[in-house]
Amino acid sequence: MRRMGLIAGRLLLGGVFVYAAYTKLAQHWTLFAFSINSYGLLPEWALKPVAIGLPWLELVLGLLLIVGVGLRYVATAASVLLLVFFGVMLRAYLQGLDINCGCFGLGEPLSAKTLVRDGALLGVSLAVTVVVFLNEARRNRQPETNSLPNPQGTG
Amino acid sequence: MKNRMRLGLAGVLAICLTGLGSAEVIRAQGFGTTAPPGIEKGYGSKSAPIHMEVFSDFQCPACRGLYEMTLRQVIANYVATGKVYLIHRDMPLPNHPYARTAARYANAAAKIGKMESVISALYANQDRWSANGNVEAAVASVLTPAELRQVRELVRAQEIERAIDADVALARQRQVRSTPTIFITHRGRTTPLPPGGVSYQLLKQYFDYLLQQ
Repeated sequence: MRRMGLIAGRLLLGGVFVYAAYTKLAQHWTLFAFSINSYGLLPEWALKPVAIGLPWLELVLGLLLIVGVGLRYVATAASVLLLVFFGVMLRAYLQGLDINCGCFGLGEPLSAKTLVRDGALLGVSLAVTVVVFLNEARRNRQPETNSLPNPQGTG
Repeated sequence: MKNRMRLGLAGVLAICLTGLGSAEVIRAQGFGTTAPPGIEKGYGSKSAPIHMEVFSDFQCPACRGLYEMTLRQVIANYVATGKVYLIHRDMPLPNHPYARTAARYANAAAKIGKMESVISALYANQDRWSANGNVEAAVASVLTPAELRQVRELVRAQEIERAIDADVALARQRQVRSTPTIFITHRGRTTPLPPGGVSYQLLKQYFDYLLQQ
């Protein structure tokens, strides 16, 4: 059950990351830079590297989540990234900024709906991260159990 | 070995997606580029490859900021060189009591070919007329007495009201929620720019990219 949940969570998160990356890579980087700039957090010189680099980071994380490589690091990175996104969006929402979310390309206003959606994704990501670490801890314990001396004393 | 296969799969997927991305499969919403009937409020040449429409409220501080910090440079560097046709669209907001009056003056000035200087004066003196409601004093500073007389007569004309209403209807049709809101049209495709983050430096890079297409 936990295994199925983990796979579903990984595929959901991976799919969302890949889609988010795709919508940004399909347009010129300046359009995403306008969205980033509207949050008023980054200096002008940082807009280009972030607008170009972030979609690629999302793409790599999404693909690695889908194929399941380096899950401990990838799930942790995804959670940190989603936490940052959520924090930045929440701040802008509380400030009453009338801006776009910038999550999936153009034209999506920042609203309570986008906050709930991103909060839910953050929840899934944190759950995936916890399960991945629990699985890893269990796997590390198993060899010790297997190496217990044979109670029959055949050695 | 298993991890290598997975990484290989991720690589193949990444290459496929990059190909799709560079092909720009995602298209901006088709808003249509037909201008509403009314008074033409454009700067520069209509045959410019890029059309930039700005929905503004003359009493909105963010619109003044955009005009002073960004549009002035766009006019100097892209409109004057025939690369961009900049269109002013009115969207007076109900919470700004003098915004519609200011829009009337701007439209009337457009009728006599003085739109650019009147818009500039309205933004430059926004604090003053927003406080006392004396829009005409701001406009008078850039018009000759004869021009001011013409503008005064035009301000009351139905044609002016209709022109403003046409812009407001267009804004509603395009689901404009706030001012300033910018639409860029290039090669028949209209793209709405995200509100609030448009700086001249970014806009310049976007225009240069479009002009290279």
